[in-house]
Amino acid sequence: MAELVQYLITGVGVGCAYALLGSGLVVIYRVTRVVNFAQGAVAVLAALTVTTLLAAGLPHGLAEGLGVLLAGAAGLLTGLVATGKPGTTPQAALIVTLGLGVLAYAVEILFWGDQPRSFPGLPGATAGVQTHYLLIASVTALVLAATAVLFARTDLGRALTATAEDPYAARIVGIDVARMGLLAFTVGGALGGLAGVLITPVQQVTFDSDVALVVNGFSAAILGNLTRPGLTLAGGLLLGVVQALAGGYWNTSYQTEVALIFMLVVLVVRAGRLSSVETA
Amino acid sequence: MIVEVRDLTVRYGAATALDGVTLSVAAGELVALIGPNGAGKSTLVNALCGIRRPASGRIDVRGRLALVPEGRHLFPSLSVDDNLRLGAWRRRERDTAHIYALLPELTPLRDRPAGRLSGGEQQMVALGRALMSRPDLLVIDEMSLGLAPKIVGSLVAHLRQRNAEDGLAVLLIEQNARLALELCTRAYVLEAGRVVAEGPAAALAGSPEIAAAYLGLEA
Amino acid sequence: MKWIILVAAGVVPVLLTPGQLTVYVLLGLAAMAVVGLSLLMGYAGQVSLGQASFTAIGAYTAGLLAVHGIPPLLGLLAAPLGAALAAVVVGVPILRLRGHQLAFATLALQLILLSVLGGADWAGGAIGLQGLPYLSIFGFELNEDLEYAYLVLAGVVLTTLITALLVRSRVGRGLRALATAPVAAAASGVPVGAYRLLVFAVSAAFAGFAGGVYAFYVGYLAPGSFPVLLSIEYVVMAVVGGLGSISGALFGAALITLVVQLLTTLATRPGMPSYAPSVLSYAVYAVLLIVIVLFVPRGIVPTLRRRSP
Repeated sequence: MAELVQYLITGVGVGCAYALLGSGLVVIYRVTRVVNFAQGAVAVLAALTVTTLLAAGLPHGLAEGLGVLLAGAAGLLTGLVATGKPGTTPQAALIVTLGLGVLAYAVEILFWGDQPRSFPGLPGATAGVQTHYLLIASVTALVLAATAVLFARTDLGRALTATAEDPYAARIVGIDVARMGLLAFTVGGALGGLAGVLITPVQQVTFDSDVALVVNGFSAAILGNLTRPGLTLAGGLLLGVVQALAGGYWNTSYQTEVALIFMLVVLVVRAGRLSSVETA
Repeated sequence: MIVEVRDLTVRYGAATALDGVTLSVAAGELVALIGPNGAGKSTLVNALCGIRRPASGRIDVRGRLALVPEGRHLFPSLSVDDNLRLGAWRRRERDTAHIYALLPELTPLRDRPAGRLSGGEQQMVALGRALMSRPDLLVIDEMSLGLAPKIVGSLVAHLRQRNAEDGLAVLLIEQNARLALELCTRAYVLEAGRVVAEGPAAALAGSPEIAAAYLGLEA
Repeated sequence: MKWIILVAAGVVPVLLTPGQLTVYVLLGLAAMAVVGLSLLMGYAGQVSLGQASFTAIGAYTAGLLAVHGIPPLLGLLAAPLGAALAAVVVGVPILRLRGHQLAFATLALQLILLSVLGGADWAGGAIGLQGLPYLSIFGFELNEDLEYAYLVLAGVVLTTLITALLVRSRVGRGLRALATAPVAAAASGVPVGAYRLLVFAVSAAFAGFAGGVYAFYVGYLAPGSFPVLLSIEYVVMAVVGGLGSISGALFGAALITLVVQLLTTLATRPGMPSYAPSVLSYAVYAVLLIVIVLFVPRGIVPTLRRRSP
């Protein structure tokens, strides 16, 4: 029983990070229709930056905050390169973000080398698991709630939603659609960065951890078809918990497969339903 | 003049959508633009709003222009009130009270998501959203399409009132030529990207060719 | 032009040093996989981030058979078949996906494959298969780089010919029609799904053959030989050369391989930091991919062709 509780807590913690990263993908996809493949790279970049800032003597909190800010800036840069040129299709933009993810490899190896890195999180243990998992869960809850409020209750959030729902109408009322896209990339990048910063104390990060991160984030988000934040959170938690249970009771090497197969099943089932609707 | 369009040509690739169109709307004027499907009416709307770049010609806009687009184009998940507020995005105005005063039908709908409303209600919201920007000229694209005559009647009444009280100018783009010629004082007829007739609405309504082509089926 | 390149490709190996021959062989292997990928992306309009999985499947098919005492030639022939079979099995469900969905699905399949291979005792686990024999064809053992160079050249010519035939066939015409007028093509009875699956299987077979040759050439296999980055490399080569263009695929594979090789040579000079080769090659992949997608969206070869009729 105690074991089960531990697995659930670690699963929720890791799942929260996936949900954050996936929410970043959702924010970007809704407004720009671009799937940002560099989302994982942004998370890694933020995490590696924090290792350096902490080593330089910056206090916890400030270092993590700066890492998230840098991730936001990296997100903005991604958006500028991927969507800045008028007429770039979402498909082309996806390939560009893929390229930016590889570019991040060059930068990361240059500054941090190719060995795994980590930094200490919240110390101590609760109910047999690192307290840091609880920190991940509470920060995620707070940040996702704040994001929901941003979208529902502020003018800027409404303008983002408006752009996502009807870009033509958004232009008509004078919303700068391109700028909203860049804002979405910035917010999405910051959410990805936060995921990376939160998860690194319990899961080492290497320059090429981005693939696993972005795939897990995408898997979380695909449950809500990349557009529904609530389902993304549910998807992330589900993934995290199932991975933790599979790792705990079965075999740790099957953790990745669980997430990947989950994503494939959701994709294929959804595509099947869509095409049966189309032919009907 | 609020809007002066001179010799406007717009192309989509090799196809010419508008070919040397000249048109104007004066302050406080009600002008109709009628023509069949594919005549280039929507292209003209997009050019006026700066969404479509002309190949040649000039568009001068003096004053504020707001568009009520074909198909309403509301933001479906946002409330009516939020839709109205976004209408004033450029001017950062947050107070929507004056719109409810002008269009009292909207008051009970205030907090409903726009996507859940009927077509007539949505058209009223689209009108309100355009009025939020306190325009000098309202460009209305296919307002009556798919709406019951009673609803169209109340929309027209609102337009007349705004015109009479605030001197709001309207460029009404309509397939329903009878409606357009009744409401407006002046009209243009657009066919295959060219203005083929223009003049006082009454005179156009009286012309046999126009009557046959655009009013005939209903007569 | 074609013939000049072919003759040059035939003469060059004799003039190369052993180190350069290795580059030649690896270039040819990449070219085979990229010709297939370019066909898939250009004609079936599908982004695949998992082309290297089929290289891996081909390599492991050949390697496992050889380990179990099957003659290497049979193993080599089984490599493309195994890859094509795998493509058909996964293609039926996933080819219904489009755009980013297919991209992530193919990526996911490769990650699953790598994880399975890494955990499978029968495939040597993370260490992989070692001590594979040289390829022998009717008693003649290929144990020189030069021989593999010509084997690879033959493979590239073969894949190119098959692709050219496929493009000119009913399948190619149908897929082209689909790209320009999907509704009309579907209405006129083009069996879209079957054609896409065929292209997917053929492109997998090419990669599988490359994998088979690789297994015998290098002599050992591990999951790490076929990272996700290899799939991305293939995408870079295909996009840079020009999607749907055979000569573009060959050009892309050659350009990227040579540029990366050149940079690696520079970066491994004394005095350069140890991370220099990987930093430079990642930077080259990234910058070329981004610049080409944004500014030469049709790819280098089709764009040059258009400028000089």
